[in-house]
Parts: sequence; structure tokens; C-alpha cells
Amino acid sequence: MTVSPALFLLPGVLFFAVYVIIPIIQSFYISAFEWNGLGELSEQGEYVGLRNYQELFTDRAFEVSLWNNVKWLVLYLLAIPAGLFIALFLNQTVAGIRIYKSLFFFPFVLSQVVVGLVFSWFYLPREGLLNAIISFFGFEPVNILGDPTLATYGIIAAGLWPQTAYCMILYLTGLNAVDPEQVEAGRLDRAKGWRMLWYVILPQLRPATFIAFVVTIIGALRSFDMISVMTNGGPFGSTRVLSFYMFEKALSEYGFRMGYGSAIAVVLFLIMLVFILYFLWTMVQDERASRN
Amino acid sequence: MSGVILESVDKSFGDAEVIHGVDLQVEDGEFCVFVGPSGCGKSTLLRMIAGLEDVTGGKIFIGGQDVTRTDPADRGIAMVFQTYALYPHMSVEENMGFGLRMNGVPKDEIAVKVREAAEILRLTELLKRKPKALSGGQRQRVAIGRAIVRGPGVFLFDEPLSNLDAELRVEMRVEISRLHQELGATMIYVTHDQVEAMTLADKIVVLRQGEIEQVGKPMQLYRDPGNAFVGGFIGSPSMNFLEGRIDNGNLHIPALADLVVPLQATAPAGIAGVTVGLRPQNLELDRTDSQLTVELSEMLGGVRYDYLKTSTGERLVVESRDADDADEGGSVGVSFDHSAIQLFHPDSGVRIRLSD
Repeated sequence: MTVSPALFLLPGVLFFAVYVIIPIIQSFYISAFEWNGLGELSEQGEYVGLRNYQELFTDRAFEVSLWNNVKWLVLYLLAIPAGLFIALFLNQTVAGIRIYKSLFFFPFVLSQVVVGLVFSWFYLPREGLLNAIISFFGFEPVNILGDPTLATYGIIAAGLWPQTAYCMILYLTGLNAVDPEQVEAGRLDRAKGWRMLWYVILPQLRPATFIAFVVTIIGALRSFDMISVMTNGGPFGSTRVLSFYMFEKALSEYGFRMGYGSAIAVVLFLIMLVFILYFLWTMVQDERASRN
Repeated sequence: MSGVILESVDKSFGDAEVIHGVDLQVEDGEFCVFVGPSGCGKSTLLRMIAGLEDVTGGKIFIGGQDVTRTDPADRGIAMVFQTYALYPHMSVEENMGFGLRMNGVPKDEIAVKVREAAEILRLTELLKRKPKALSGGQRQRVAIGRAIVRGPGVFLFDEPLSNLDAELRVEMRVEISRLHQELGATMIYVTHDQVEAMTLADKIVVLRQGEIEQVGKPMQLYRDPGNAFVGGFIGSPSMNFLEGRIDNGNLHIPALADLVVPLQATAPAGIAGVTVGLRPQNLELDRTDSQLTVELSEMLGGVRYDYLKTSTGERLVVESRDADDADEGGSVGVSFDHSAIQLFHPDSGVRIRLSD
């Protein structure tokens, strides 16, 4: 009787442990060693305690990566209002609206690698569409991905494209659930335009907004593939983020510092943990509120 | 003040015309009930008065002002929705004050008005709660409170009691009636329930398929329906209809053993076949007779309804006050005061009035 629930949970728990929990613990463990990944950790690894973390404090490249992660976090959130407005715009009954909805949703279906490639062509200094437009208006061409001060923003803009589509879909579903009689009550109460959106519609979209925040923040923190495709961390390492820097240090062609890479991974994990704990806390609160 | 006037109001959804040239005058302070079967256009008509539906043709006046194209918020109306439409994220207090807040009324003034309305509706204890934590009847009162706070000239109710259980419905009905007396505002109330219509209304508007069938005081419609539809819709159980024939100034009713009733006045010429309307309340069981079969007897405590079948296959309901045991399957007859007969045209259903 009490065995069957445990049995049902077993496969999930097993996989979660093997692929998530144990690797996290291993990362913590490895981050205390200097190890090149060859041979056994217990034989080849040299125990260094917290020295990897100490090194992070003085590592310029780590600082740049951390800052880039912050930029990603903040700017990526633009996908939420952008997705909301596209969803509001598409939430009408016009002939062929389904086609428009799927067109707007399309970028999310594309692989991040494809999005990255398309945008790097778009940004190309001479042949790119962006510079064709800019020069049409008589401005000097810009090499976005070649400029250390602009490259990260260029990649984030590319990342926003599919992320906006994702948030849009979340909001479109949420808008379906908005009670039309409440909108009418709002009209009678003189809530129009922005005030209708703010006081009547948005509160009803709270679940969608919450999910949009979760997926966007997690997405910003795990950004990797686009950076890898578009700039490979360059120019001069200016577009690295934590996940990319970790990969470079530990796993790429020149990477051999497993311990140092793990230390970066641990930092990234702790940052994520803050958000995840907040999300979990919110969900538990909501559940409690709905039960009372 | 705030009477409502409709002038040949039309409404179409695409090609489908759902309201056909409705003319109506609701006096200031009147309680007017729109009643009719589902799909008759009563809710659409109410929503047009509220400004939630566009008017295809005709004009709407509220308090003497042409509001046909006016924004809903500027019409001086408040509406109570069927599903209450309370804002779930706001407390009762915020829900009730929201309209005033959107109209830029100062906070302390809102607080005073909300408290007043809460007192009228006995909601004071619940002001801090969210709608989710309220019962159906309480939500209903909050929805009414939200309307009161705005101090409108006209209250619109869209089937407000249909989501409540029977007991609560009676209670809220009384409450709405009391509210009307207290506030003295014009109220327009939509329902499909003729009991609500009878008990609440100063004036009933019976609608069918987007047209007004008859307008009048409740008892006027009950006693003197203009057509068979109104006769059948108002009153419970509904009016009995039997086939009849006018011959030589006499009314023949084949269903009642070819009963012949001499008409006191003359029917309009050229009418032979008629529909005979008889209210169950005006019929009396005659146990000495046996032309009718008792199909079913319903004992409701104070009254009993007997469902009878005639030899011609027509059906009759009789309301009786005596508590005698029902004799299902037995045979009885009916007797009635002949002046209770109402005649209708068999095709159009229009009342046939006899002239002296």
C-alpha cells in the first residue's frame, strides 16, 4: 500500500539524482581541486581548498562574464512586455489571425543556433541587412559583433527574438482565460486603455507573467549556444557569460582546468538558486492562498 | 431624472437581426423586468442600454439624453452581471470603490460611500475579504454594492439570481425589492423566470424573438394577456390551451365533451376556429364527471396540480386547494366559471376580444 507511491516516484527520483543532484555535488567537490580532467581525480587531482574561488576574485575574464550575465538578465526581461504587447495585438478575431499568430511564434520553433546564424548574417559589416538599412539613411556602417562594447547587446537582441515569441504564446493563452464580463465591468467603471490593462487585465494574467519571468530568467542565465555560434566569446572575450567561460576553462579545446571550471559552475548555480528558491517560495505561497 | 426610452431600436449580428425595432419607455424610478425564453434578445437589449453592445438602428435615451453612441461609463448606469464579474485580485472594498477610483473621486470620499453601501447590504464584516472567500449570495451582494456605490440613475441587472440556489434566490429577490424601495432608482432587470418578473416588477416587458410581445403591470399581463404567448408565459403553471370552435354565437370545446358555452358578446366575424385559454387556477375538479383521465397528481403541500388528458388527446392542468388524495389513472371532469375563458387566434395567437 505505502510501497506503490514510492515505486511511482522511483524512476523520476532516480534520473533526477543521477543527472542533476549528484553532478551538482560533484561540481562542488571538483571545485576544490586542481585537475586537468585526465586520469582519476583522486590520483591526478591536487587538493587546493578554496583557492579556485580566490582566483575568481582577481580574474578579469570572470568579472566580464559575470557582468555580461547581469546584462543578459536585465535586457532579456524586455521579452516579457514585448511578448505581452504582441499578444494583446494578436488577441483579436480577424480573418487569418491564426496564421499571424503562428508567424509570430515561429522564431521560438527555430533552433537557437539557427537564430544565432541568421542574426550574425544580419549583422555582417558589409553584406549584412542591418548595415544596408543604416547606410540607406546615410549613417556609417557598424560592425556590431566585432565591437567589444556592442557585441553582447547584439547577441541579446538576437536572443530576444525567440524569447519574445515564447512570452507571447504564454500571454495569448492567458488572455483566453480573461473573463469577458470583467472587462465589461471595467468598461462600465471607466477603466480604459492603459488603466484597463493595468487594473483589470494584467492582474488576471498573473500566472502567465509568473511563468514568463521564470522561463526568461532561467533562459538568460543559461545563454550559451548563441554566444558560441555568433562570437565564440569574442571579441577579446567581451561576450563571455558564466556558462560560456566555464566551458572555455574546463571543456573547450584549450580547457584543462576542471577545478576552476567547476568553481565557475558553482557560482552560476548559486545565482540560479536564488531565483529558483524565490520562484518556489512564490508558488508555495500561491498554493496556500488558493487553499484558504 | 433617469427614465429610459428606446426608440425603434434594432440590433443585428452580421446578417442575423436579433432585435427588431423595439420601442419602450421606462419611467424614472420604475422597476422594469425584461422577461422571455432564452434567445429572445432580452440580455442583448439590456447590454445595448448599458452600451456594451452597439446599436444597429434606432435611439436610446437615458434621463432625457441621447446616449446611443455614448461610452458605457458616461451613461449614468451601473450593471450587475450574471457571473457577478467581481475583480478577483481586489478585496470587497476595492471592488466596490474601483469605479469611483477610476472616476478620480478622492480616497476618503470613496471610503465613506463604500461603507454606506456595505451597511445597506450588510457587507461591513466582509470588506477586507477577496471574492474567492465569499459565498455565492455574498458575491451577489458585493456585485450589487459595486453598483450602488457609483450612485447611478439606472441599475441594470442581467439575470443576477440565476447562479444561486433556490432558497437564496428568494432571499435575494426580497433584498433587491427592498433596495429598490430604499434607493428609488430606475431598475431594469432581465430574467427568464416569470416568478421573479411577477414579484419584482412595476412593469413587465415580455419579449420573444427580438420583439416586444406585451408591456404592462404584472397582474395586468396575468389577467389580460394580449396573446397566447404572454398568456402561456406569465403564470405558473402555464395557461391551458384547448382547441375550440365558434358556431352561431356559441363556443364549442370538443376536448371537454363538446361543451357548449354561449358567448355573452359577439366575436369578430369570420372567425371559426379559436384557441381557448384557461388558467389552471380557474379550473375545478368535478369528481362526479368522468370525461378526463388523471395522468399525474403533484402534491405541493398547500396546492395540488392534476395533469389531465382529454379524449381528444389534449392536456389540461388543474390547480386545487383541497388536499384529497390524488386518484391517478381515475376519471374526472372539470368545471369553471365561463367568464374565465380567454380566446386566442389559432394561428397568430393574438387575443380575440369580444365586443358587445
